[in-house]
Amino acid sequence: MITVSQDQQLDRRRMALKQISSNKCFGGLQKVFEHVSVELNCKMKFAVYLPPKAETGKCPALYWLSGLICTEQNFVSKSGYHQAASEHGFFVIAPDASPRGCNVKGEDESWDFGAGAGFYVDATEDPWKTNYRMYSYVTEELPQLINANFPVDPQRTSIFGHGALICALKNPGKYKSVSAFAPICNPVFCSWGKKAFSGYLGKDQSKWKAYNATHLVKSYPDSQLDILIDQGKDDRFLLDEQLLPDNFIAACTERKIPVAFRLQEGCDHSYYFISTFITDHIRHHAKYLNA
Amino acid sequence: MEEESGEELGLDRSTPKDFHFYHMDLYDSEDRPQLFPEENPRMRKEVVQAETANESTGAGDGKAQSDLREEVEELVHLYGLEDDHELGDEFVDENMPKMGVSEYPPYGMKRRDPAREQRDWRLSGEAAEAEDLGFGGWGSAGQCQDLREVYRYTHGRASEEYECYVIPEEEDEEEAADVFCVTCKTPIRAFQKVFDEHKEHEVIPLSEALESAKDEIHKNMYKLEKQIIDMENFANHLEEVFITVEENFGKQEQNFESHYNEILETLAQKYEEKIQALGEKKKERLEALYGQLVSCGENLDTCKELMETIEEMCHEEKVDFIKDAVAMADRLGKFLKTKTDVEISAQPDFEDQTLDFSDVEQLMDSINTIPAPSAPVINPQAPNSATGSSVRVCWSLYSDDTVESYQLSYRPVQDSSPGKDQAAPSPPIIKTKEIRSCEEAVLICWESGNLNPVDSYTVELTQAESPEASGVTESVVGIPTCESLVQLQPGQSYIIYVRALNMGGPSVRSEPATVHTIGSYFRLNKDTCHPWLAISQDGLTIIRSERSTPRREPPPSDTRFTRCVAVMGNLIPVRGHHYWEVEVNEHLDYTVGVAFEDVPKQEDLGANCLSWCMRHTFASSRHKYEFLHNRTTPDIRITVPPKKIGILLDYENSKLSFFNVDLSQHLYTFSCQLHKFVHPCFSLEKPGCLKIHNGISMPKHVTFY
Repeated sequence: MITVSQDQQLDRRRMALKQISSNKCFGGLQKVFEHVSVELNCKMKFAVYLPPKAETGKCPALYWLSGLICTEQNFVSKSGYHQAASEHGFFVIAPDASPRGCNVKGEDESWDFGAGAGFYVDATEDPWKTNYRMYSYVTEELPQLINANFPVDPQRTSIFGHGALICALKNPGKYKSVSAFAPICNPVFCSWGKKAFSGYLGKDQSKWKAYNATHLVKSYPDSQLDILIDQGKDDRFLLDEQLLPDNFIAACTERKIPVAFRLQEGCDHSYYFISTFITDHIRHHAKYLNA
Repeated sequence: MEEESGEELGLDRSTPKDFHFYHMDLYDSEDRPQLFPEENPRMRKEVVQAETANESTGAGDGKAQSDLREEVEELVHLYGLEDDHELGDEFVDENMPKMGVSEYPPYGMKRRDPAREQRDWRLSGEAAEAEDLGFGGWGSAGQCQDLREVYRYTHGRASEEYECYVIPEEEDEEEAADVFCVTCKTPIRAFQKVFDEHKEHEVIPLSEALESAKDEIHKNMYKLEKQIIDMENFANHLEEVFITVEENFGKQEQNFESHYNEILETLAQKYEEKIQALGEKKKERLEALYGQLVSCGENLDTCKELMETIEEMCHEEKVDFIKDAVAMADRLGKFLKTKTDVEISAQPDFEDQTLDFSDVEQLMDSINTIPAPSAPVINPQAPNSATGSSVRVCWSLYSDDTVESYQLSYRPVQDSSPGKDQAAPSPPIIKTKEIRSCEEAVLICWESGNLNPVDSYTVELTQAESPEASGVTESVVGIPTCESLVQLQPGQSYIIYVRALNMGGPSVRSEPATVHTIGSYFRLNKDTCHPWLAISQDGLTIIRSERSTPRREPPPSDTRFTRCVAVMGNLIPVRGHHYWEVEVNEHLDYTVGVAFEDVPKQEDLGANCLSWCMRHTFASSRHKYEFLHNRTTPDIRITVPPKKIGILLDYENSKLSFFNVDLSQHLYTFSCQLHKFVHPCFSLEKPGCLKIHNGISMPKHVTFY
């Protein structure tokens, strides 16, 4: 086993970033990079928005975790977040939703499991455990990569989107604020969750709790988190009982974790819904990141 | 290929029909036959130009043809055509012999009249700076572009291709001129001086002539520019005068119309009156006469009757005759005694009537006079409009008046001297409990403090940092009512006094009131308070107490809440940001928000479109939160019940936001159309109390909204 020095590691990370595209947007730059991920053992793309303020100083970072079947592109092209991010001066980092091109058997069979559906867990079962470690990627490798390559203030980070709840609840104090759009709140009780967890984590349901937002909330150590959730009222996944926000809200109420949950009339699960409220969410994070 | 010959400024020249111009650049200068090898090609071109121009016109206009090239080159540089020197050199030569005045499309464009070209010349002055495509006189950049392209096109061709277009003038090419004959105003060759024509004439070297011509052109340019400016100014001035004339005459017309109408009305009135008087007089007389006629008739009848009786009597027997005769004699006697009035009572003559038209005359006379203007109104003194030795006075006048000048007079009023005729008034009393303020202003009201009416009030304010050694005291004077809205600086403390003023002078200062321009400060309005609510002494706590006895609902009212157990605050009517907080109890049913002053007091808050509020209901251990306007609410779930609610009212962005203050959590924001001013409103659906905190600045988390 060759030990690699800190500097060499840093260098390797620095050299590893390959820029795929760069577009000027609202005074800042929307870029897409590709790198070889250590956790996921494959090439991964992620999108990062550099605000205009980044030219002169360090800026806070906001991580967006996309949901099922998304890549790093959906959020970037459809949500319309650039103006708010530019105004508040945030980096916005959007990784892909799962490892790609790993040639794991069965990864392309269904849209809600495998490719495009990483569920932000660290899989423990074969054949997934080599590659499907999105939780570690998103909470450790990617932030370190970003901090090393961009003028990001590592003390000021927030996270939103699917899977954000998990990351925030499992890492008290790491994120200053959290928000989500139509999140899966209680995966152990919905068919998506059951399918994914049994595939990634095995049949032992006690292991599933570690990635269940509703469960994690019950043992969250403090109540310094401020959670904003927008949910479309006409979202078919809500009606199909895949999302189950009520359970989450009830747990938060009991645990006295502040949540503002807004059920939006007429909205569905699409990016039209997300783009309507994205500015509110970014402002929510600005309260803490720019305090 | 018809081309225009160059045109002088203001001079119209016709192109001779059989005369054609061709691009000089078709031929490299070396290609031309060297008639005079010692001369440079440049001169030869000038000759050609000169010759052709001479032939066509026979007379220059004070400008040498041959020196145009140089001038034009200068202009080329001036107008930024440096990128293509040949364009400047030769193109100009052919196509713009004069100062960009003529439109010179080589392939068939019609001529323009000089007036247009004069305008183009003007354009060239202005547009040239703006555009690099110089030659403003060409009218449009597009045309210029075309020309350049054409030029390049032709320039790119080999000269052989144009052999067929041999210029006739080539054969006529002569020597270049090198001197200038001032008398004939034409360039000539030196030897020509010797000839008869120019023998006696004054001759100067070409370069000199060039210089002077250049100067003239520049002068003309300059003059033209000046003229443009003058004309523009004049046009503006004319416009102003035009408008003023319209206005003034409009006023005169109006005046005259009203006067004239007045006169007509008066005349008509007189007519009516007179006719009526005459009619009555006539009636009177006719009646009198008629009366007389009637009595005459009666008289006659009686006479006739008597006569008949007497006649009958005469035919009677003697005894009867005597009886009757005596009676008759009596009767007759009586009758004859009564006087008959044979005077005609009413004369047909008409008295002389003189009509009184004096008032009409007066009106007619006054029709030519301009009415005196109404008294102007002096505006109340604005803050900071006075210094130690001067004061700025503003006034306004009625728009109907025609005013020529104003006369301003002033008289100092002594502070200390009490009235000569009248005693100075007593100081007013500021209603400190009713002061409303925000970060930018304060609304103060006071009691007059005087039984007698007072002319006006003065508000004085100083910043509270150094009250005794204060520098500036701002005054607002001429306040007619017992209320004043004063603009202030945010984040300061002020001490305010009020004085009353009448003929005897000003009163002493009232007791001071202190105002802090931090946050918005208001008190609850007792007049709006539902009878079941009690307000604390400081006006900031609302209490609904338990009552065991059932209570009747009070009768409907416009000011007081009757159905909804609510009360409103008095927020200062200033369109800015206002922020206040309300302390609540988790288990309390309450509603907090804003409403217009005329919100229906028989309805619940939020049940109409004149109020926006947040309602919390606690039932069966569940908290329900509604954000009501017009009876609709979004579906919002909140996990941690707020203990202190922050409310932000933003007139500029038309928003009303609610916050959980302790958690810095944003709850909800309304977008509301606030065409009038709104006031905070509070209601308690169950017994409990609400405590208001105001006069606090917005916490940081609120500023994001």
